[in-house]
Amino acid sequence: MKFSENWLREWVSPEWDSNTLAEELSLAGLEVDGIDPVAGDFTNVVVGHVLSVERHPDADKLNVTQVDVGDGEPVQIVCGAKNVVAGMKACCAKVGAVLPGDFKIKKAKLRGVASHGMLCGATEIGLPDDGVDGLHVLPEDAPIGMDLREYLDLNDTSVDVDLTPNRADCFSVLGIARDVYAISGAEFTQPFKDKEMAGSEPCAQKIDVQEAQACPKYLGCVVTNYDKTAQTPAWMVQKLQRSGLRSIDLVVDITNYVLLELGQPMHAFDMDKLQGAVQVRMAQAGEKLVTLDEKELTLEENTLVIADESGAIALAGIMGGLSTSVTDATDKIFFECAHFARLAITGKARQYGLHTDSSMRFERGVDPLLPERALNRALQLFTEIAGGDISAFDAVVSEENMPKPATIALRRETIASRLGVAVADNQVEKIFNDLGFAITANDAGWDITAPSFRFDMAIEMDLIEEIGRVYGYNNLPETPVEAPMTLNELDESEQSLNVLKNALVQKGYNEVVTYSFVAENQQKAIAPELPYVLLQNPISEDMKAMRTTLFPGLLNSIAYNQNRQQSRVRLFEAGLVFYKNDNDASGTGATQVPMLGGAIVGPASNAGWDNVNRNVDFYDLKGDVEALLAMSHQTGKVRFEAFQNPALHPGQAASLMKDGEEVGVMGQLHPQLVKTMGVSGTVFMFQIRQDALMTMDVPAAQPISKFPETQRDLAFVMEDATPVQKLVDAIQSVDSDIMQGIEIFDIYRGQGIEEHQKSVAVALRIQHPERTLQDEEVDSLVNEILAATKQAVNAELR
Amino acid sequence: MQEQLQSIISQAEAAVAEVSELSALDELRVQYLGKKGELTAMMKTLGQLSPEERPKAGQVINEAKQAVQGLLNAKKKQLDDAKLAKKLAEESIDVTLPGRDTDLGSLHPVTRTLYRIETLFSNAGFDVEQGPEIEDDWHNFEALNIPETHPARAMHDTFYINENTVLRTHTSGVQIRTMENKKPPLRVIAPGRVYRCDSDQTHTPMFHQVEGLIIEKNASFAQLRALLIEFLRKFFEDENLKTRFRPSYFPFTEPSAEVDIATDLFGDGRWIEVLGCGMVHPNVLKNVGIDPDEYTGLAFGLGVERLAMLRYNVKDLRQFFENDLRFLQQFK
Repeated sequence: MKFSENWLREWVSPEWDSNTLAEELSLAGLEVDGIDPVAGDFTNVVVGHVLSVERHPDADKLNVTQVDVGDGEPVQIVCGAKNVVAGMKACCAKVGAVLPGDFKIKKAKLRGVASHGMLCGATEIGLPDDGVDGLHVLPEDAPIGMDLREYLDLNDTSVDVDLTPNRADCFSVLGIARDVYAISGAEFTQPFKDKEMAGSEPCAQKIDVQEAQACPKYLGCVVTNYDKTAQTPAWMVQKLQRSGLRSIDLVVDITNYVLLELGQPMHAFDMDKLQGAVQVRMAQAGEKLVTLDEKELTLEENTLVIADESGAIALAGIMGGLSTSVTDATDKIFFECAHFARLAITGKARQYGLHTDSSMRFERGVDPLLPERALNRALQLFTEIAGGDISAFDAVVSEENMPKPATIALRRETIASRLGVAVADNQVEKIFNDLGFAITANDAGWDITAPSFRFDMAIEMDLIEEIGRVYGYNNLPETPVEAPMTLNELDESEQSLNVLKNALVQKGYNEVVTYSFVAENQQKAIAPELPYVLLQNPISEDMKAMRTTLFPGLLNSIAYNQNRQQSRVRLFEAGLVFYKNDNDASGTGATQVPMLGGAIVGPASNAGWDNVNRNVDFYDLKGDVEALLAMSHQTGKVRFEAFQNPALHPGQAASLMKDGEEVGVMGQLHPQLVKTMGVSGTVFMFQIRQDALMTMDVPAAQPISKFPETQRDLAFVMEDATPVQKLVDAIQSVDSDIMQGIEIFDIYRGQGIEEHQKSVAVALRIQHPERTLQDEEVDSLVNEILAATKQAVNAELR
Repeated sequence: MQEQLQSIISQAEAAVAEVSELSALDELRVQYLGKKGELTAMMKTLGQLSPEERPKAGQVINEAKQAVQGLLNAKKKQLDDAKLAKKLAEESIDVTLPGRDTDLGSLHPVTRTLYRIETLFSNAGFDVEQGPEIEDDWHNFEALNIPETHPARAMHDTFYINENTVLRTHTSGVQIRTMENKKPPLRVIAPGRVYRCDSDQTHTPMFHQVEGLIIEKNASFAQLRALLIEFLRKFFEDENLKTRFRPSYFPFTEPSAEVDIATDLFGDGRWIEVLGCGMVHPNVLKNVGIDPDEYTGLAFGLGVERLAMLRYNVKDLRQFFENDLRFLQQFK
């Protein structure tokens, strides 16, 4: 809601400057978005009368003018504007004037001719652009020498208030004025007298309201014999302009003026173009309507329309139709002023891609008692400007469908407990009186009836908010919450995501946050097998699919940084992935799983001088993943198995298996996807379900053996294709309470080892908890291991 | 014999002085003191002397042996020292070169900010709750007193998946889930990603919020003020931070307010909006089976990026989601 400050001040004018007014409005819940002076900051500019214009002797594009600025003697001003003519009234900056931008006007000589001032164009003094390339032309009757700020009422601002949905009552100067009155206590004066304008001649236009629930009140009257040449007066144009509306023609301007002044949308029809009764009905499916902005709409049955016998002629509460609009040729005007129910209008403008001042008000609600007053006001303005004969009003009112103001019980006790401060009875009563509420006191407090324009009032808390608002939120005390002191739970078997994130940070990973929606083609390339959820209304095509994997986001971030000369990139992200699943227990049609993922590319080390020019490989990443697993006590519980994944290199891909379930994947980005994803180099990446990392064991310490540990090194020869994990599993399958650990310390292929075979050297750490081991015991263990490994992976001792 | 010994010592002295290798020194040791060494040979001649002369002569030879041994030891120490010094000199490195793998990554500024918020509130006894990001209409709107026809719906710029499923537009839905599952009194915060179908210089289609909720008997607006003012002062570490509460409107709170801050730390003392809050609307409490006459609720929603921008001097919201290392690395 944008309005002229001076217009508001006609109603109520507290002794606040513009900025204070804006601040006070904001603090009352009417947030001021902007407060813009209607003209630039300038002084000493007056109405000038151009007496004569002569060509400059030495410059083709300059003229020498004599201008009467009301000081007796005319002043000589050199002027370059094309539209300067003798006899015109123009804005004249006198010597000593200061124009916007601290531009001082001094005596000057232009190409040898003295110039004592400057004739100004609109934008030179910060007025709205009048579209003229040259001087801003003032009306002929502008008084010579009058200060321009005074003449054009330029000491005014346009105030833009961002209204919350509950404050539809403030979509008018009247509404804002009511609130300003309540918060400031300044005198409230209606700047015009309400008059009954209805004539005695019956209204010739019949009205047929078929949807009383959607339209409980419809008023109309006909105006004839008016001055068709009458123009919108300058003061009205100015108020409209400063309130953000363009002047169109007298009838539209008057309806807009009343809309801004009182908040009631209205419409005017050319009565001669109406066929039969004006109907208020639901649209028929497929019915057409060409609106005032010359768009042809195909209507749906859910839409309330104004119609005549020919069909729909207006979208009720939203916009009029072109065929029945008032023009210069109109003889008889049918003014409509109706109350439409909020729910009948809500969403309808949007449905047709429209948004109008009228629909905005009806969607949020308009005072149901306003139509009579607004129609009278519009007719008063119209006849003052253009004369005319007014018919009697035809009113179709359905009392049973009219909104009824709520009467709400307000308890003194609730005010104190909810606001945290006791507000004196007389203060409570004053607040509601000033806001126009009706109050009846009782033992516990009051019964309060909201005025018709405060239909947002429904429950006691609504009233308490009004008290808080006018009392001033910032005047309420600050009272710390007091509660019994209890200690929080501290679950030691729960790993913290922050700890894991910090571990990755220590390893040189940078955390990224990428959008949860990705390009469909990327998702299909990375995870073709996973069903995904699509947005109905994405921001763009490449943000359409809810991610089923963190990889696209990570890879796009790698590409972004590689394109900015970063060769060593290490990133991670934590967040949800979304699998389409119509049967998910959440009922959201998606299984939403917290994931932790990372990706690395580029040099393995940052120490460039060290001649270690190796790039990262699978085992660099695996070490990082294993560190995460170790921190969550998952070492050995989560196992790595070679597997195939469309996103990963078939020979460098591992699934992370826990209790037979895949909880993560890692590997090299499939070389075929490098180009698709826009990255360069060899990227290694992982992602793990967070829940697989979130449980830990609370340590239970075991006694440390005092007896010596022995080590046996065994070198096995086995099939190259067999994973070492199987050998380790075979060793660990031997049931022994003296085997303390296994370490792989060498893998060898080549001379001495047959083709397709490898040698795997394993160190066994052996120790007995309670005594020194005998050689025979160790030998016996080794023999068992050899038998087991022979059987499991056909491994031979080298 | 005296003279002979003196001559050997003198020769040894000259020979040791010439030596520059440990091996050569060892050869000298053999030459003089070895089994067939010159002084060892002298010892063997003792047998030819009379028993009276023997002790004296033995002592003299021993003294000569010790003298030579002393020469050898001194030289050996000298050579060892020189060798060590050489080794140390060879091993010296340029200690000013950078160490290996010193790369430190970084936590995203949003995470860093969330952590700060979570720490402040969990220290005061708030639980941290999570919720789904694909959310049903009930939890995102209906239960929060935002029915289908509510004008606030249009203001939410919602991403739709279908008629009844959306990307959550706020973390307020977690309020509902928490109240559905736990009995009051409650103190929770719910941090997380939220989504609005809006993208320009000051809006990203995804951002982060922290929703806060207290359900107590007789919670008051005055308590909400105290809590949030204290939070903001602690978050920005500015005891002089100015705050103001402006009446506003959220369908799920009544009364509702927005909170502005002003500080000399940033923003030239202008008022900057940082959060929305209010008392939980009785309809919301009823929707989750809590009696609004018995319990009252306080709720607030913090915009994480906004707080991060102010706290860390970030000028462009979009930087949070570009993930440029040159930006991220500033948050080590």
